[in-house]
Amino acid sequence: MDDELRRRRSRFLSLPAILVVAVVTQAPILATLGLSLIRWIVIRPDLGITFIGLDNYAELFSSRDFYEVVLNTVVITVVSLAVCTALGILFGLMLNHDFPGVNIVRTLIISPFFVMDAVAGIVWRTMLLNSSFGWNGYFASLLGVGPFDFFGVHSLLTITVLIVWQWTPFFVLILLAGFQNIPPEILDSARVDGIGWLKELVFIRLPVIMNHIEVAVLLGLIFVLKAFGLIFVTTRGGPGYSSANLPYYVYKTAFLGWDVGHAAAVAVVTVAITLIAIVALFRWFRRRIVEAA
Amino acid sequence: MVHRARARRRTLGIVLIWIIAILWSFPLLYMLLTSFKGEADVLPPSLWIHHPTLENYAAVLRQEFVRYFLNSAVVSLSTVAACLAFGVPVAYVVVFGKLKNSDNLFFWFLTATLFPPVAVIVPVFLLFRFAGLLDTLGGLILIYSGFNIPIVIWMTRSFLLDVPREILESADIDGSSRLRSFLFVVLPLARQGIVSTGLLVFIFVWNEFFFSINLTYVSAAPVPVYMASFMTQEGLFWAKLCAISTLVVLPPMVLGWLAQRSLVKGLTMGAVKG
Repeated sequence: MDDELRRRRSRFLSLPAILVVAVVTQAPILATLGLSLIRWIVIRPDLGITFIGLDNYAELFSSRDFYEVVLNTVVITVVSLAVCTALGILFGLMLNHDFPGVNIVRTLIISPFFVMDAVAGIVWRTMLLNSSFGWNGYFASLLGVGPFDFFGVHSLLTITVLIVWQWTPFFVLILLAGFQNIPPEILDSARVDGIGWLKELVFIRLPVIMNHIEVAVLLGLIFVLKAFGLIFVTTRGGPGYSSANLPYYVYKTAFLGWDVGHAAAVAVVTVAITLIAIVALFRWFRRRIVEAA
Repeated sequence: MVHRARARRRTLGIVLIWIIAILWSFPLLYMLLTSFKGEADVLPPSLWIHHPTLENYAAVLRQEFVRYFLNSAVVSLSTVAACLAFGVPVAYVVVFGKLKNSDNLFFWFLTATLFPPVAVIVPVFLLFRFAGLLDTLGGLILIYSGFNIPIVIWMTRSFLLDVPREILESADIDGSSRLRSFLFVVLPLARQGIVSTGLLVFIFVWNEFFFSINLTYVSAAPVPVYMASFMTQEGLFWAKLCAISTLVVLPPMVLGWLAQRSLVKGLTMGAVKG
């Protein structure tokens, strides 16, 4: 009796949260699936709203822009996560010592993570990378060369660099905690055995903090895949689609082209790619653990 | 001899990490520095402030910027309150409750964090338009709550797992009700974790860009929308832009700095314990 009452109360306690999350995330995802099957261009009311089955997807998979955007998304994600992991390990190792000002140094390195996309993008775009008035132009004229073309041919690189700048701090936070958690006895016994610094890192430290690396990469993947603000504020996905990722493509189709069905189809594909990437990465991590066991 | 070589290597490493730290945060340091320059001194770029001034801050605090700042504050604080009020009880139920399917409940919430915002934006926009929620603070609070409640549940769960079960059981024997033991036994023990979860949600919401740019225009627009529309002519108003940016990044930076240790704990524990 008591248990039954408690169970009912438990259900009652979780109801509000379930309701809000269902209304805001789960139901709209189903609606997105439905919308991806219709043609509805808001700024062309004369065309009406019609059911067209999988035509939006067919159109999508035959468009070159789409493949360019998918490729950009993959490049941004893979490159930035790899660089973030490497730098996270490097900075984490360096910060795992006691030295004068270590707290200040850590705070300085971590701070970009807490800066909103809108500010990060605008500061980089105007004061640093601007080819005539920013530091970019300043150094170019100092060296007597042309300024680096951050927003033209190299726009994808620019976006990747900004994401690395923003997300490395997150990796440092997590990996540093991992390094600090390593029991000193493990390292002591390794030192008695007299193994070198690099061997110690590769064979002892990194395997021990593997869980932390996995957490950082998985969460990083989720966040980098939905990067939007930095692109919006700096390159607007351009020139053309050269620096657009999937979220930006959805935004452009939905709110600049007002093509509801097409935008929904891209959103569905984005979700599919996101889930596949997360599951694949997760499986890979699990298998590594099974093999190690 | 060996000692001296090691000492020298150590000094070199310290100098190196200091240089890296200053370069890494240079965009922010330079932003802070420029905010104290007069508009006439902004160009060409230099690290020297010829005539330090507070006029930029005085100017922007009189502008419409204040309204956007208040919108951000209202939306962020309300979302944090809603997320904690709705999310913490669920985490409690998942950890201490007697539900048979509490794991399923937990994973249902967890999957919601995996979906990118673009997955919902089109229907949410249409829904908001027909329900009159476009460009309202309430609409933003609703969408942010939905996306952050799962994060609260995830992190709070890992902090609650740290609370020894025996404490709760002995409270049961004392005859105190579950509600009382939740409020007076469990919450105080998990307080630090819950507070830092709230800070994390505040930071996420304060900085959020995608929903705010697509669902608000003028009256409910928070700071990121204002920043995105802050189109300066080349080299004009950069000092004021920097003053605004500094004010805007200050709250999340301070809160993040306060919460960093428990944030890492909550994030890694939740994932390591699965």
